[in-house]
Amino acid sequence: MHSDLKDRACQTLEMAIEAGAQDAVANVGEHTDVVFAYRDGKLEKVQQSTTRGLSLQLFVDGRYSTHSTTDLRPEQMHGFIGNAVALTRHLQPDPHRVIPDPALYAGRMDVDLEMDDPTVRDLPRDVCLEWLGKMDEATHADARVISATSEVHYGWSASAQVSSNGFEGTRTGTGIGYGSGVTLDEGDGRRPEGHRFVYGRRLEMLPDAVAIAQEGLQRAVERLGSRKMPSARTVMVVHPEAGGGLLRHLVGALSAGAIQQNRSFLADRREQQIASEWFTVADDPLLPRGLGSQLYDGEGIAARPMSIVEGGVLRNYYVDTYYGRKLGWQPTTGGASNLVFAPGDRGLEDLIADAGEGFFVTGWLGGNADATTGDFSFGFRGRRIENGRKGGPVSEMNITGNYLDLLRNLTAVGDDPNPWSSFRTPTLVFRDVEFSGE
Amino acid sequence: MPNSPPQENPYDDWFGVDETTVYRVLSEAMGRGADFADVYFQQANTMSISMEDGIISRSSTGVDRGVGVRAVVGDQVGYAFSENLDAEAILEAARTAATIASGSARVPPQEISRPELPNRYGLDRAWDTVSVAERLPLVQKTEATVREMEAAIEKVSVTWHDRDERILIATSDGVRCADRRPMATLGCHITALRNGQRQSHGAATARRQEIGWFTDDRIRDICRKAVDRTMILFEAQRPPAGEMPVVLAAGASGILLHEAIGHGLEADFNRKGTSIYSTLLDKQVAPEFVTVVDDGTLPNDRGALNVDDEGTPVERTVLIENGILRSYMHDRISAAHYGVPPTGSGRREDYRHVPIPRMRSTYMLDGPHGYDEIVAAVDRGIVAESFTNGQVQIGAGDFTFYIKNGWRIENGKRTAPIKDVNIIGNGPEALRNVLMAAGDSKLDDSTWTCGKDGQGVAVSLGIPTVLVKRMTVGGVNA
Repeated sequence: MHSDLKDRACQTLEMAIEAGAQDAVANVGEHTDVVFAYRDGKLEKVQQSTTRGLSLQLFVDGRYSTHSTTDLRPEQMHGFIGNAVALTRHLQPDPHRVIPDPALYAGRMDVDLEMDDPTVRDLPRDVCLEWLGKMDEATHADARVISATSEVHYGWSASAQVSSNGFEGTRTGTGIGYGSGVTLDEGDGRRPEGHRFVYGRRLEMLPDAVAIAQEGLQRAVERLGSRKMPSARTVMVVHPEAGGGLLRHLVGALSAGAIQQNRSFLADRREQQIASEWFTVADDPLLPRGLGSQLYDGEGIAARPMSIVEGGVLRNYYVDTYYGRKLGWQPTTGGASNLVFAPGDRGLEDLIADAGEGFFVTGWLGGNADATTGDFSFGFRGRRIENGRKGGPVSEMNITGNYLDLLRNLTAVGDDPNPWSSFRTPTLVFRDVEFSGE
Repeated sequence: MPNSPPQENPYDDWFGVDETTVYRVLSEAMGRGADFADVYFQQANTMSISMEDGIISRSSTGVDRGVGVRAVVGDQVGYAFSENLDAEAILEAARTAATIASGSARVPPQEISRPELPNRYGLDRAWDTVSVAERLPLVQKTEATVREMEAAIEKVSVTWHDRDERILIATSDGVRCADRRPMATLGCHITALRNGQRQSHGAATARRQEIGWFTDDRIRDICRKAVDRTMILFEAQRPPAGEMPVVLAAGASGILLHEAIGHGLEADFNRKGTSIYSTLLDKQVAPEFVTVVDDGTLPNDRGALNVDDEGTPVERTVLIENGILRSYMHDRISAAHYGVPPTGSGRREDYRHVPIPRMRSTYMLDGPHGYDEIVAAVDRGIVAESFTNGQVQIGAGDFTFYIKNGWRIENGKRTAPIKDVNIIGNGPEALRNVLMAAGDSKLDDSTWTCGKDGQGVAVSLGIPTVLVKRMTVGGVNA
């Protein structure tokens, strides 16, 4: 399968050069995706397909374009590529659009990232249906359940990339996950939901399916009786699974594209204190089994770990070739892989006990952030913190602020990074957060 | 290749298949006893152009071509797709889809019906007849127009996108229909610098339209909106935190309807009992002056369709009539569950996905009040004007939308500008709390894309000026 994809990528590259491109990058990939869903005692959905596609970057007479297609019929390829090259000639030349420096391809690590699990490729349908049957039963262990859906998702992918200036790479990976969503009858018309889903590279990493389903039910039960609390400026403790939703907006502001376009509140802050000393995060593409792990990035740049923020001091940006040239900076890598946070030495319960009073955020509801100014406002669901313990569920409340203030108000991090995301946030504790409610 | 209405038999020209193959695929999909099956062929050709720092520095094209096969038993669905349109590959997809059922084969009827479809977005010039050289001036004109409008602007990025989508639907009931769906989007995003501070915002228009529609005047309107929305941010502050009355400005505030009501009325959530609206059909849910529709019939609108993605004709569905909840939005599965005709709401992102009930263009009709009367009725509150996000929890009914631009209201007067606050409320409660609605209902033709179950579809929305008694506004505590 590898060699098929690579042959195809090489042929595409040749055709692009023949059609008049000075440089080109071709990528051919395929992805197989399988879904089984069970709802309220029966199989609800079966889905299985393989998607294949080709993408091509062209550098023609100082001009640049990108093209993709799922129509891989050989008789279509010449026309597709010929038209793509012709189209590119109509654009304006841009001196910064050049193929990546091949020196950046060098130094690729020769390590096994353990991304491939053969048991996922060969997973029998009966095994999935057996898990789902048990999960479905576990989610209905409460008389207030209106409906519960349990799902198993798994798949595998492979791709090959080649460039006219010597890049060659192939990669494969598997993924598998399962979980449940449960809706309960609150009695007053409201139907609170709880969800729990885990996803990893290998089957052996996942916790027991029934335990996951039970957690889905438990999370719904914990939402019963939620209410709005008075507005306050107080402590916010963020669950490890919710940390990614809060901090993902930082990644956009860390990109050279945002900085060069004057749309980043983190521009001109390299080597400055942008967060409290508790905030240390690295981009680690070489994490074994990581959901964002890779040996080379989208441009072919050899992957290596990079410090992003160290003890609150901003160390590096995400810099790709194009915006790096515009800014006069060396490329690092174009985007985030796995974000690994330096953990603290205490768990969630201890941190809640320390907080004393405030709110424990378990998930977000809408909201947004402005990367230019760092202003944000998000709806959330969670629980009160009273006398150092988790209290009743809260709903219909927002937090509002600016990331530079928020990050400086980070007072503690947990020892519990979320393993089910490429955003491996631990519990995060912030002081002086603006909550709006009643 | 004619544009629209579709030609007599687009099988061969568009997808290289014939009726015999299609019938075999449908038979295979019902080979284990499905109630019905359908086949969805799609080819979408797209082109994007982007301009930054005064240079058209990138263009992208895409071809997305494939076929999806679905087998349905009651509310159970088997689905598979193929990007290879050879008969054997499609038959293999049909065999996978068929595994949802476990009975004996059923045979689809041989009779074919080709419903007369309307022509809601026929173009004089289809996008495949327009060269890239004709598109570039629109992008350059947009950039130049923005720069002329305001000296404080540092950065302008302009994005152009057009899509020419052909679909062919064949169902086991014998329905055969084809549709060709255009879409064109022009947007600009700007950053301005004033007194050492930077602000960014933008505007975009997306319609099922042709190149001739993008006149200088229309380009100027988009640019004016982007500049005004950005420059006002320099004066804007966060409002005080807490519950307060919210005036929804006419147009884009229709996002309230989309999040607070629309999703909850998609019938899949209701047949499963997971929507807060599951038990409210034919009940009074809003004041008498509130009528909300979901409409796929508006010519050239972003949410318009000639036929939905299950082969059902698309209609104007009255969701709430004079305050009474009248209808959910149905696909075939939910319509069969409720024993009602489908509403033409079965939509999918593309051939990789199953159709589910979705919105098209969701808006509220005019109300009896005046704009000035509405603002004057508020002692201390806000006006919500432009938005950059929205979301809802279907069961709890809690919805949110993010206000990028707005105003404070103090003592019945619109005063200082506000920015960047999230609003959160509860759907049925917000509906009951609609106090007034003006006679200025309008649609917003921005690039609204609605996400559900991992599928994005194009929608539009609209509303007149409306006063909601109270919602929770993000902001700063005194």
